[in-house]
Amino acid sequence: MAAELWKKKIVIAGEGGQGVQVIGELLAEAAYRSGQQALYIPNFGVEQRGGVSIAFVQIANGEIGFPKFQKADLVAVLSPRSVERTRGYLKPGTIYLYDESAIKAPEIDDRTIGIQGWETVAPEAFARMVGTEEGTGVRPPGGAGLIRRGIPAAQLAKDKLNPRVANVIICGAIAVLLGVLPLEQVKAALEEKFADKFRQRPELREMNYQALEMGRKAVQEAAAP
Amino acid sequence: MFMTGNEVIAWAALAADADFMYGYPITPQNEIMHYWSRLAPHFGRGFLQTEDELSAGFTMLGGVLVGKKCFTATAGPGNILMQEPVAMAEMMRLPGVWVIQQRGGPSTATVIYSQQELRLTTTGGNGEGLRIVYSTSSHQELFEYTLKAFNVAWKYRFPTFVLGDGYQAKMRETVTLFRPEKRGWEMIPAEPILRGPGVPCIERDPVHLRNTFNIEEELYETLMKHVEDYERLTPEVVEWEAKVRADDTLLLVAHGIVGRAAKDAAERLQRDGWPVGYFRPVTVRPFPGEALRKIAAANPELRLLVVESAYGQLLSIVKAELYGYANPLETLLRPGVGVTTEEIEETVRRLEKREG
Repeated sequence: MAAELWKKKIVIAGEGGQGVQVIGELLAEAAYRSGQQALYIPNFGVEQRGGVSIAFVQIANGEIGFPKFQKADLVAVLSPRSVERTRGYLKPGTIYLYDESAIKAPEIDDRTIGIQGWETVAPEAFARMVGTEEGTGVRPPGGAGLIRRGIPAAQLAKDKLNPRVANVIICGAIAVLLGVLPLEQVKAALEEKFADKFRQRPELREMNYQALEMGRKAVQEAAAP
Repeated sequence: MFMTGNEVIAWAALAADADFMYGYPITPQNEIMHYWSRLAPHFGRGFLQTEDELSAGFTMLGGVLVGKKCFTATAGPGNILMQEPVAMAEMMRLPGVWVIQQRGGPSTATVIYSQQELRLTTTGGNGEGLRIVYSTSSHQELFEYTLKAFNVAWKYRFPTFVLGDGYQAKMRETVTLFRPEKRGWEMIPAEPILRGPGVPCIERDPVHLRNTFNIEEELYETLMKHVEDYERLTPEVVEWEAKVRADDTLLLVAHGIVGRAAKDAAERLQRDGWPVGYFRPVTVRPFPGEALRKIAAANPELRLLVVESAYGQLLSIVKAELYGYANPLETLLRPGVGVTTEEIEETVRRLEKREG
């Protein structure tokens, strides 16, 4: 008998400096390395400069159709502004992962937008004050049927590792929530993506691995009754 | 491998033994130029950035004339400018590969995605649109049809297009790259069209390529020969993908990445017992009209649902191909935006419920 077909549709949204596209790439690469089908597409276009950046990922054990979709199985929201932008992807049963840290999401200011030449994905490297200033955390939307999981990713990153790896914490949490991606494969994806950086500074490898583990632990704690 | 569609095309051109790319930047095809210009020096291949798309197209034809395998890539307004050199290639029967990553139109519109360049890519220019256009739906197809486009172009000497879109350009998915010879695919080498070896008139026939004619009849004779050649190649080149069962009452018709959504929707609906099939032209020029007519004739009750990210471009081709057939036509036309599997499923459920 043929194995039952499954497909996971994932939306990740955050400010243009939070590394949501990196999460998308890592998840898709990890799925590919696990022998699954994967498709990742960023939202791109002129309008999103300095705005909310969204990554669409699909992981399946069979063929994947159109690169975009209507409703998601998992929505990860990294900034307050992203709540509205992702509302349309929610359905009963959607896992809603959000960053509950009281830390201001990074922003890309107008001057930075003026000097960068990206026309595709958000210029994440140019973001100011990545995860250091205080602000409000994400408030998940109400309504029945959502499986809400809040983790303090930015806070954990700031206190224990480095503000820049908050997205890797989220990535670890998503992998665990999906239940189809071994963390080992996410590590391999990190290795592939940051090969040069890890070669120059091997301590970054360890920090990223710790971030993944932190995400796993945080989301398991969030799920505990 | 796991990569973006633009990377896939650069690798495909390399595998196809392309010598040279000429181009001018425009989103969403830019990374084809970026990857190619990064790869090219390591493999003895060349790249020239010209001042615009007109120039990219004409310099490319220069490269083709001296026997180089050349290609270019463009999109949107760049595709409009590109039609002038393409028309010259049609008139002079020059090969070449054009990659189009469709963006929103008309004019600058969006840098993102559409299927609004179907009409322009299949029949742009001031002639009959004697060219071959493959509309791909996955990275694997981007790779394989780019390889194929080089062979078909140089075999039949008609301009040949790979018609992608911004989504295919930017998304990452799995692709198996291969050397064509490992699969037994023989790549046709490019020969000099002008200034080939030997003394003209003595050791070989002279070459006289014309894109200007003095009298109407001269043009007519030349063109009709081209039309005959085109009609002869059509059954050899035409490709489509379809799954229709005898008792299906609805047929989804879509091309490119939307064809992929239609296939996904049809297969999901079929598993739930819905009488829905799909038809995807792979060559949108020449169009697999005969195959579609066979399906339509087998069941005059079969209703067609044409789905596209444009407002009636595929629809007008389907209508022309099915002239005289009475099959009912429905549409899902979304110019400049994607059409998801779910949207197609919803439309089918609505249509079939209304009737059922």
